[in-house]
Amino acid sequence: MTEPRDELAAAPDIIGSDNGEEFSAFALSRWPGLVRLAFGLTGDRWTAEDIAQTALARAYVAWRRVSRADDPDAYLRRILVNASNRRFRKRRVTEQLGDLPEVAVEGPADLVGERAALLAALRQLPPRQRAVVVLRYWNDLTDAQIAAALGCSAGTVRSQLSRALATLRANPVFGEGEKP
Amino acid sequence: MTPTEDTELRRRVDDLLGAVQPPDVRLDRIIRRGQGIRLRRAGAAAVGAGVAAIIAVTTLGLHASRSPTTAPSGPVTRGGFIASGTADGHAWKLAVQDIADPGYRCLPAITINGTDADPVYPDPENVSVVTLGPAFRGVGFGFIQLPANSSGITVNGRLHVPAVTAAACGYRYHVTGFAYSLEQAVRVTVDHPPPGWPTDFPISQPLPSGVTPQSDGLWINTYAVHGETASGLLASGYLSGQEWSMQVMLGPGGDCYAFNGNGYQMGSCGPVGMPDGAETIMALPLGFPEADIGATGYAVPVSPGTAHLEAVFSNGSSELATPRVVDGRKYVAFIVPDPLQLARLTWLDAAGRVIASTTALPQYGYVQFQP
Repeated sequence: MTEPRDELAAAPDIIGSDNGEEFSAFALSRWPGLVRLAFGLTGDRWTAEDIAQTALARAYVAWRRVSRADDPDAYLRRILVNASNRRFRKRRVTEQLGDLPEVAVEGPADLVGERAALLAALRQLPPRQRAVVVLRYWNDLTDAQIAAALGCSAGTVRSQLSRALATLRANPVFGEGEKP
Repeated sequence: MTPTEDTELRRRVDDLLGAVQPPDVRLDRIIRRGQGIRLRRAGAAAVGAGVAAIIAVTTLGLHASRSPTTAPSGPVTRGGFIASGTADGHAWKLAVQDIADPGYRCLPAITINGTDADPVYPDPENVSVVTLGPAFRGVGFGFIQLPANSSGITVNGRLHVPAVTAAACGYRYHVTGFAYSLEQAVRVTVDHPPPGWPTDFPISQPLPSGVTPQSDGLWINTYAVHGETASGLLASGYLSGQEWSMQVMLGPGGDCYAFNGNGYQMGSCGPVGMPDGAETIMALPLGFPEADIGATGYAVPVSPGTAHLEAVFSNGSSELATPRVVDGRKYVAFIVPDPLQLARLTWLDAAGRVIASTTALPQYGYVQFQP
């Protein structure tokens, strides 16, 4: 197991008081991690940017609470996941039928196919299972942290992850010897 | 999961998401969105829950206070007219209309040829596009709500479309509408954008019609749209001891349905029709792993004259479902447990007379049906 790498948590800790300058610094430092996490949740570049903006806008509104939270990044993740779920419900049809975004297929040819295949496999998962996979394998969160982000129990996280991995294993894009 | 599998999946996810290069953060836009949320919350708190119409007016007033975001006070078009033209040999017209059933609170929406409605709010920055399928193959339609001092837009640097002020349900909308070819990207340039507004809007392209019939008729709101018109419970019950429910959320994404069961959810959005227009039959399959059973949730917005919807299943049994009204619109919802399938839907009026019937039913996603 690698060292936990939560890009949001790893950003500089600049929060602490309620002023626009600190919010700006917070937003700037968290933005890349939010967009990447949102892309993992949605599979769509534009949507990812949009819900990352939404999450930060909501954090702006609740800045006093966010900045005083024990774990502001956990708070932000929760906002992001909620925004993603709302978006998912509204756009599910379009999302399922959408083309793969350009960003996912940049790079050497072998990586292009691999990224596209993983993206397609993630898209087959229900939103909550997809979120569990991304939060576990991208943000390296524990069951409890994922449960906090999703607003469910740790037991539900484990069962969702189990189902998600079973689905991914059955996906032909994960060839022999490379099954997750 | 073995350690090798775990490592491999981690590597793949890391590679996929690590390849994403986020654009520069738009702090101005984030803060403006946040301020908008604050204003709307202030409006809702001032008026109190349960008086939706008054809340809307108050919110409009708050929007007005951060001008220039209101419609101008000049003349309004007749019948909510926004724009019209001819595309693919067929006439089209955009208008803002009331889409609530008769007798209910007015519910404004922008429609294309009187169908396929997109609920609207007094909310500049709302940009939305739609494709209608075979009737307009290769053609997309869009509208944008503009700030009060804007005289119009230019589409792809060539077509200038003037803004009009259209009215419905007591609101005025400073808006412009246009048709465009799906073969090219769309960029809308706004005349005289106020400070804080982008000068142009690149628009996410709806997928080509015909290839993706599931997206036809579903408006895609490409920028921030504030407000969700309504949501409500359509049906609920138990299946093999597992609790389920179906909800509808009518908002900028259309009629969005959620089928929930024991912590799982399947959701999807479908086109919004006029009260007597085409009806969207939505099917949402969902598994209940704990009970080792699956079911498909069906939701149908029905016409005002519909008193019941009879669902006939593949084994010959049937169920009579009663509509529920959410924000002035009637919906019917029910579930079909596996392995049964829905074989026929029949619309009945209050006297039990058949209004319409169909066997063209989806197993997943939606179809549109004109009773």
